Amino acid sequence: MATEKEKGSSANILDWLASLKLTLFVFFALAAASTVGTLLPQGAELEESGLSAGTISLIQSLGLNNLYHSSWFRMLLLLLCVNLLVCTVDRLPKTIKLLRRQEDQFDSNKLSKFGTSAVMATRMSPQEAQPLLQNAVEETFGQLKDLGSSARFCGVLEKGRWSRLMVYGVHTSVILVVFGALLGSILGYKGFMNIPEGEASDQVELTAGAHNHLALPFQVKCDKFEVSFYDTGAPKEFKSDLTIIDNGKEVIKQPIVVNDPLSYNGVTFYQSSYGSMLKQAELELKDKDSGKTEVVSLTLQQTAAIPGTQDQIRISEFQDNMMGFGPALGVVINKPAKPANGSWVLADKPNFHGNTIQNYQIKVRNISKANYTGLQVSHDPGVWVVYLGFTLMLIGIMLTFYSSHNKLWACIENDGRKTIVAIAGRSSRSAPAFNEKFDELRDRLNSLLNAEPYKLEQTKPEKAKTEKARQEKTKAEKTKPGKTKEEKKKK
Amino acid sequence: MTSSLLLSITTFIYLFCTVLYLAAVVFRYKPLLFAGTMTALGGFIIQTAGIILRWKESYDMGYGHAPLSNMYESLVFGAWAIIAIYLVFEWRSRQRALGFVPGAMAFLAMAYASFATGMDAKIQPLVPALKSNWLIAHVITCFLGYAAFAVSCGLSMLYLLRKDVKDNPGHGTLAFLPNSRQLESINYQMILFGFLWLSVGIITGSVWANSAWGTYWSWDPKETWSLITWFIYAALLHARTMKGWQGSRVAWLSMIGFGCVLFTYFGVNFLLSGLHSYAR
Ligand code: HEM
Repeated sequence: MATEKEKGSSANILDWLASLKLTLFVFFALAAASTVGTLLPQGAELEESGLSAGTISLIQSLGLNNLYHSSWFRMLLLLLCVNLLVCTVDRLPKTIKLLRRQEDQFDSNKLSKFGTSAVMATRMSPQEAQPLLQNAVEETFGQLKDLGSSARFCGVLEKGRWSRLMVYGVHTSVILVVFGALLGSILGYKGFMNIPEGEASDQVELTAGAHNHLALPFQVKCDKFEVSFYDTGAPKEFKSDLTIIDNGKEVIKQPIVVNDPLSYNGVTFYQSSYGSMLKQAELELKDKDSGKTEVVSLTLQQTAAIPGTQDQIRISEFQDNMMGFGPALGVVINKPAKPANGSWVLADKPNFHGNTIQNYQIKVRNISKANYTGLQVSHDPGVWVVYLGFTLMLIGIMLTFYSSHNKLWACIENDGRKTIVAIAGRSSRSAPAFNEKFDELRDRLNSLLNAEPYKLEQTKPEKAKTEKARQEKTKAEKTKPGKTKEEKKKK
Repeated sequence: MTSSLLLSITTFIYLFCTVLYLAAVVFRYKPLLFAGTMTALGGFIIQTAGIILRWKESYDMGYGHAPLSNMYESLVFGAWAIIAIYLVFEWRSRQRALGFVPGAMAFLAMAYASFATGMDAKIQPLVPALKSNWLIAHVITCFLGYAAFAVSCGLSMLYLLRKDVKDNPGHGTLAFLPNSRQLESINYQMILFGFLWLSVGIITGSVWANSAWGTYWSWDPKETWSLITWFIYAALLHARTMKGWQGSRVAWLSMIGFGCVLFTYFGVNFLLSGLHSYAR
């Protein structure tokens, strides 16, 4: 008993996992969650957003500040995939079985089962009517296949069975894209590197995880960086001449621009930004107490002793153009047993009050700058799976929407007095186009066979019902390959 | 003759064309429908010439790029796509009475592009990130999708109006229009077309981002909103195919979907920040 009950509940869960209700829920949930993600500040923006501390901690605890990478958002994506897989496992065998099925014999009694149908009566003999029927069908739809019935003629024409399978292509593509993205996020990395002109580096600063570094197994050298401008002053092109040095050998020399990256060993380098950094500065320090002047030359972050004193000097920061006042150096002076003291020193404005730190009047005699190129670095082994998914998705959607599985039946019977010709058709899609062609065939047959409309005995009393059944049938046909459970319940 | 003159003329032609189509339906006078089609075709040809001329002008200015690079240009292309899709539809279906829907949509897009404050109609140089053939593929495909959804939204509103009025063939203002079953079917065709192109649009955008930055998806607000739009229409397709949602429910979903399109396009530009800063 217990096992049966268990079976029942696990079957229920499987039903739920395969259901279209769940699909709709996940679609709307993903849409709603994504909306929230675009409205709330994400990542580092949150601290600067000016929201109250309580709101911020609420947002953080729900993972809303990193929503697209939060575990619950990933669960939704996972649910979409599971839904899709279970649904496919449930339906694909049924679809295949349906497509494998041999043709049934067809006769006028079954007409009400079809989307569209027509019956007519003619004075011609069945033997005379058959070639005319076959020709007319051939001219509108194609070759009829004779089902080889002994007593009467019965033929069928079928096109585009494969069309029913195309939607599985679309669904597979969704799985591929998600899988490829997952692969990339597990096995790949993203980061950036700033390389001064003329220098080489293998250090990548990773984007995910603060201050995470990675050393490439080879070096990237920036031979030259150039930026060009339009006459409006807007940047026109950034270009870096890069060289890849592997094992001390130059293996690739190639310029890159935005939109045209360089790849080596699965790692791709994209031109993304640029800037200039300090190479060396020559500072003149005038001690206002003693009147002595010293000159020191130093690079960024280098600490140097000021000659003749116990004091030390360091350039901690550099800005190429600080608030429109030109190059600025962040200078820090350390005196023994005193807290460090610093200020921005403007290179082009010797009289700026900030150029004085404690007893030193500082003048920048000379600075040499280096341009650096900012490269985005990416290693993504999943991207090809994603692209495969993209391709499959587009082909799949196109074929799903614009191909159809069409079937046409025709038979010739004799009711004792007259020859009766019946045709019926069914289309999985693009019903208007199919119906138009069907009507054309009916009209053509009417005139070729010199026929008149014929009312079938069996359907006469049920006329109203037939009309309704036909409408329902058209609806049901669309969803044919293996109806889902809810569908059946609804009926 | 400058491109901006041609495009201004187009704006008024689309207005005139909408009036003709609408008058034909209201007064039930067939020749006006024909006049509407001819006017739409005329406007379309002039607009095409205007777009090509603008392209050439950008080369003359030394910038040399397809006219698809800012909000003004994309709106003009959106109007063009709406009319193009409608004309093909009209030719294939011989169904003319719906012309006022796309006519009005195209006019609104053109009028907004021409008269909105802060809209910069100048030809601007391309920043390095936009210099890619993917830009052309991306914008064209997205806008084909948006245009189809715009038409579908108009048809959905019409459907809801139509459904509430008793079908009364031969009488009333609506007699010229397709009946609600036909409207539903046309609407569905538009949505299928739009969904296909929106998918192509999202994918080309994604491939482009990967070739420019090395990330095919970065949850930038515009990307995210186009995905939201895509989910809404995917839900619509599944609900219609598998759960038999038809008629009003599909019409409402289509209108919600187009609301998302509008937000993707305007809302994200004006309210949110991101990579796609067309507006600024
Ligand atoms: C992002 C994800 C998905 C996409 C892009 C997608 C796409 C499509 C498309 C384009 C169709 C054809 C619609 C039409 O005939 O108008 C379709 C049909 C269908 N989809 Fe999905 N789908 C997705 C997810 C799912 C999921 C999660 C399920 C889970 C049950 C599902 C189940 C179905 C079913 C049962 C059909 C009808 C198939 C048939 O007509 O035989 N889909 N899907």
